[in-house]
Amino acid sequence: MLRVFTVTIVVLIAIVALTGLGIVAVRLVRQARQRKRALLAAGPRRALLAFVADNGADGGHDLVALPDEAWQAAEAGALGLLGKLRGEAHAALVSVFLRRGTARAALRDLRSRSRVRRARAAQVLGDLEVRLAVPELCRLLTDRHGEVRVVAVRALGRIGDPTAAWRLIASLDQSDPLPSLLVTHTLAQLGPETEVTLSAALDHPEARVRAVCLDALGLLGAAGSVHRVARVLREDSTLDVRIAAAANLGRLGARTAIEPLTGAVGPGRPAPLRAAAARALGDLGTSAGVPALVALLGDDEYRVAHEAAHALRRLGRPGLDALRSVLDTEAAEMIAAGRGTHARPSSAAGHALEALSLASVGPDPGASPPGSGTLDELVAG
Amino acid sequence: MIIREILKVTDWAIFAYFVALNSGYLVLICMAGLEFGKHLRRAPFAGADDMFRSPLTLPVSVIVPAYNEGAGIVAALQAMTALRYPRYEIVVVDDGSTDDTFERLREQFDLVEVPRVVPGEVPYRTQVLSVHVARGNPETLTVVRKTNGGKSDALNVGINLARHPLVCMVDADSVLDPDALLSVAKPFGDDPLRVAACGGVVRIANGCKVIGGRVVDVRMPRQWLVRVQVVEYLRAFLMGRTGWSRLGGLVVISGAFGIFRRDLVVKIGGMAHDTIGEDAELVVRLHHYLRERREDYRVIFVAEPVSWSEAPSSLRVLGRQRRRWHRGIAEILRKHRRMIGNPRYGRIGLVALPYYVVFELLAPFIELAALVLLPLGLWIDAVNLEFAWRFALVAYGYGLLVSLVSLFIEEVSFHRYPRWSDLVRGVLAAVLENFGYRQILAAWQVTGAAGAWGGRQAIWGTMHRQGFDTAESLPLETAGRR
Repeated sequence: MLRVFTVTIVVLIAIVALTGLGIVAVRLVRQARQRKRALLAAGPRRALLAFVADNGADGGHDLVALPDEAWQAAEAGALGLLGKLRGEAHAALVSVFLRRGTARAALRDLRSRSRVRRARAAQVLGDLEVRLAVPELCRLLTDRHGEVRVVAVRALGRIGDPTAAWRLIASLDQSDPLPSLLVTHTLAQLGPETEVTLSAALDHPEARVRAVCLDALGLLGAAGSVHRVARVLREDSTLDVRIAAAANLGRLGARTAIEPLTGAVGPGRPAPLRAAAARALGDLGTSAGVPALVALLGDDEYRVAHEAAHALRRLGRPGLDALRSVLDTEAAEMIAAGRGTHARPSSAAGHALEALSLASVGPDPGASPPGSGTLDELVAG
Repeated sequence: MIIREILKVTDWAIFAYFVALNSGYLVLICMAGLEFGKHLRRAPFAGADDMFRSPLTLPVSVIVPAYNEGAGIVAALQAMTALRYPRYEIVVVDDGSTDDTFERLREQFDLVEVPRVVPGEVPYRTQVLSVHVARGNPETLTVVRKTNGGKSDALNVGINLARHPLVCMVDADSVLDPDALLSVAKPFGDDPLRVAACGGVVRIANGCKVIGGRVVDVRMPRQWLVRVQVVEYLRAFLMGRTGWSRLGGLVVISGAFGIFRRDLVVKIGGMAHDTIGEDAELVVRLHHYLRERREDYRVIFVAEPVSWSEAPSSLRVLGRQRRRWHRGIAEILRKHRRMIGNPRYGRIGLVALPYYVVFELLAPFIELAALVLLPLGLWIDAVNLEFAWRFALVAYGYGLLVSLVSLFIEEVSFHRYPRWSDLVRGVLAAVLENFGYRQILAAWQVTGAAGAWGGRQAIWGTMHRQGFDTAESLPLETAGRR
């Protein structure tokens, strides 16, 4: 038995020593590689910066003629620059990438067996906004690896080809679906031409698809879809979808949204929907929503009353006047009842007080400064 | 004769236990290594910038409980207000500080009192005295003053006042990397339907240079006691938790830096008042709740970037911290004992919690038992000297190997310590850990667990801070904790 121990000790010592040496070796190799890469990248980086500073007027040929090793050392930085550039400089840098064959290689890599290579290729094609790659990127929306699918969605968003909208929507309805927020953002990036597709998808049987399309319509500011979104708010069977409809009616900012939103805050509706609709009434930015919001200030549900008060605050002067009027009325009632204005405010007055106070300390104060928070001081203010 | 035989068998059992314990660590560390490799290969196309630019990125409420943090609170908040994240608010809960925590905040951020309606969505036991917001930017910074009620109570008040769908709990003395919030919230954007909570790694800030609320130069601490903790944090927190995350069995998210879905935290009743390990307890309760409802969910851990925190540099404070931590483990395992070994709770019930019982809760007891029984065996001749020294060498040698593998993986993946001297100090700390540190740690942990089982009152004690090496106003004096 002692022999087993002895052998184990020898083996352990050997592995410990090897691990220690491994740590040193890893550091040495990394440092050497970093030095070499920095050396190789220094020249191309200077040329790259001069090229984009000059809006791509001069130096493109030199960049295309760079040896592969030097270009590879600077490529990550160049790709990073792409996201920060606009206009001529962006187009010129893209042309350098295309002339160097980066897009061709990336298109090839989209069919690589390695998921990392497929994802990297999709990222590059998105950065270069290669429209030719859209069908292949759409194919990657059903890739067996989630991370490849995610990168393909982002790439499609950067390219902004509206023909990809249906494929993106369809990708939401699969067993391992894509992140909703990502698809929503991408659908919005595809531009206003997708409005018809998104509007049609509001009848999709899958609730998640309907919610994503509502959010995308909201981001696009698709005012032409207000009636369809309002119908979803009234009739959809899924609460989360109705909440999304309410929120996006607020984003769309059309006056025609007042009636469905006012209906949604009514009693008997679920509290999260009423809170979302109250918030949306504030987002609309029109004083027509004030009476409905004032009625919610005393609601038993904290979130509903809270959202109503802050929606009134965001509405500016008409909302703030309404909040003050609530406090005035309560103060008058208290005086009439002989309780004095220092009495504990009601729930409605409490929420009104909170919203008014926040309005007074914001960057653009729309209300008088708060006192120590007593009802009489605020009413007087 | 019988005693000798019993001792002999016990010594062998202890030896087998050490081998199993270190093998468990090694497996977790290897899993972490695989995860880091995956993370690094994917970093170029992970989409952090897209998340930063997206209007749909979920907003976060950062909750900062503070008790007598006057020395460093302003700098910590300045750093937090400069985080790279599209939309977030900071809710500082001053838990009845007796120092100038609030005054410093009021002066620096031009706070004004506002009457806020504080909902009771999660229970809190104390009284909210006042709510303040920053003039000119009321949406971003809220400071709540309340009577003292402990960290859980302060966090619950913060959760009640949080307006955003994600709540991130951060210690007031933590220094966050600029991208920390973006990284720790990213899993919620990638997998919004399933991710319930995400923990971020906490590293030791002692010895590092902090400028403008950012760690700009990472160095090994000056004291060996803290250097040993650096190795321990790497092995147990960075590697261990990443490994558990990969296995789908993460049950600990540090209270110093963790992010949760607010609606779920509200549904399970917020932070528990009856345990000192409230951060881990919240995660176990979350697992309990979601597993009972057969929800498809994930609790994950991200290894980079990080939150930097000051580690105890004296034995007295370290002892108090470790007693508290182990007491927390004992309380949580007792509270959720029905989950242990219960197939209804999947990997949490069948793997993670049993592991915590056998290799976390009991480990210090076995370690101390070995320290007593091995010499006893030698004394009564149940084991011979040849066996004893080989036993000790293999047991501790295996432990050393585990620590070195952690350092190796750190060097391959994040290599946060750029100096050669720090590398050597790290390796030496891994060796020194076995001579005294582990043994005294075991003693503290045993008293911590005994405190939980004996029902003694839990006390946070005072954390005397040394402060970071800084050119600016980070904590240089002492600050306290409950």
